[in-house]
Amino acid sequence: MDFKKQFSEGLLTKNPVTVQLLGMCSTLAITTSLFNGIGMGLAVTIILICSNVLISALRKVIPNQIRIAAYITIIAGFVTVVDLALQAFIPALSTSLGVFIPLIVVNCIVLGRAESFASKNGVLASAVDGICQGIGYTVALIITCVVRELLGSGTFGGGLLNGGNGITIIPSPFPAMQMVMPVGGFLVLGFVIAGSQKLMKVLEMKNKKKEAAK
Amino acid sequence: MKTNESLFHYVARLALTLLAITSVVAAILAGVNSVTAPRIASLKEQKLQNAIEAVLPGGGQEVSFTDETGMVTKVYKGDAGYAIQVAPSGFGGTVTMMVGVDTEGKLLGVQVVSHSETAGLGAVAADTTDAGNAFRSQFVGMSGSVSVTKDGGQVEAITGATITSRAVCAGINAALQCAESMG
Repeated sequence: MDFKKQFSEGLLTKNPVTVQLLGMCSTLAITTSLFNGIGMGLAVTIILICSNVLISALRKVIPNQIRIAAYITIIAGFVTVVDLALQAFIPALSTSLGVFIPLIVVNCIVLGRAESFASKNGVLASAVDGICQGIGYTVALIITCVVRELLGSGTFGGGLLNGGNGITIIPSPFPAMQMVMPVGGFLVLGFVIAGSQKLMKVLEMKNKKKEAAK
Repeated sequence: MKTNESLFHYVARLALTLLAITSVVAAILAGVNSVTAPRIASLKEQKLQNAIEAVLPGGGQEVSFTDETGMVTKVYKGDAGYAIQVAPSGFGGTVTMMVGVDTEGKLLGVQVVSHSETAGLGAVAADTTDAGNAFRSQFVGMSGSVSVTKDGGQVEAITGATITSRAVCAGINAALQCAESMG
C-alpha cells in the first residue's frame, strides 16, 4: 500500500472529476456556492469510505455475476441510513444538505471506486482510497464553486460566511448570472479540467528534467 | 459457473446471495427507520407549528375548508386570520408553503416548509439569507392576486428561478382565494 501514490492519484493524476470524469451530474448541478461544494464533497467522501470498506470486506463473498446489483444495494442502504440519521438527529444539517444526499446513490464515483478498487483490494487500502478520491472530488468541486460563485454572484463563501450571504467581491450589476446557470457549469468545468491537465504536464516535465539531471 | 455445478445450483447460488444481501440491508433499514421515524415526525410537526406561528401571530387551530385550486392542503384559523398550507408544483417537485392571510385578505407572510428546488437558485425561496428574506417579505401586505414582473405582476422573481417564483405566486393566489371564500 502506497499512501502517497494513492493521495496524488486521487488529488490530481486520477482525480474523479477532472480525469475520470465521474460524477459530472452533481459537479455541474451543485457548484454554485462554496457551501454546496463543501457539503456535497463531505457527504460523498463519507459514503465513499463506508461503501469502499464494506464492499472490500465482502469482496470474496459476492459472486462476480451479481456484483453490480449487490454494490448498488449496499450503497443505497448506506445513503438511506445516513439520510434518516441526519433527518432525525441533526435536522439543521439535513435541511442544508437534504437535496444532495439522495444524489449520492447515483453518483458514479461511489460505484466506480467499488468496482475498480474496493472489489480488488483490502479493507485498509480501500478506506484510504475512499479518503483520497473523496478529497480529490471535494477539491475539484470547491475550485469550480469558487470560480462560478465569484463570476456569477460576485461573492465568496455563499451559504457559509457572513450569515449565508457570502462576502461581496464584485458589486451587484457586474456578475454574469449565466455563470451559476448550467452553461457556466460546463464552461468553468472545462477550464478546471484544462488547468489540471496543464498542471500535470508541468509536473511531468519537472520530473523528467530531474531524471535527466541524474 | 463453477465446473462441477449444475445450472440449477448456479442460479440458486446467485439468487440466494443477492437475496441475503438485500434482506440484511432491508432489515437494517427497517431498524434505523423504526428508531428515526418518530423523531423525524415530531421535528416535522415542530417545523410546521413554527411556520404557522411565523405567518399568523398567535397561531391557529386546524379547520375544514373548501378549495377549487387543488393546491390547499391545510387551513389553520386564528384571531389574526388564516394560515393556509399550499403545495404548488415548483421546478423540482412540490413546494410546501405556509401562507398567512389576515381577516381583510391581505398577506401576513410566507414561509417555505419543504421543497426540492435547485440549491443556490430556486432554494433561495426558502433560505434565510438576505436574498431569501427579501423575496418572501415583499409579499407582506399584498392582496387580490400576485404574479412575477415577467408576467406583468408586482413580484420581483428570484434571479435565475422564475419557475420557483411562479410556483410561490401560484400557491399564494390559491391561499388568497381560499381565504376569501371562507370570509
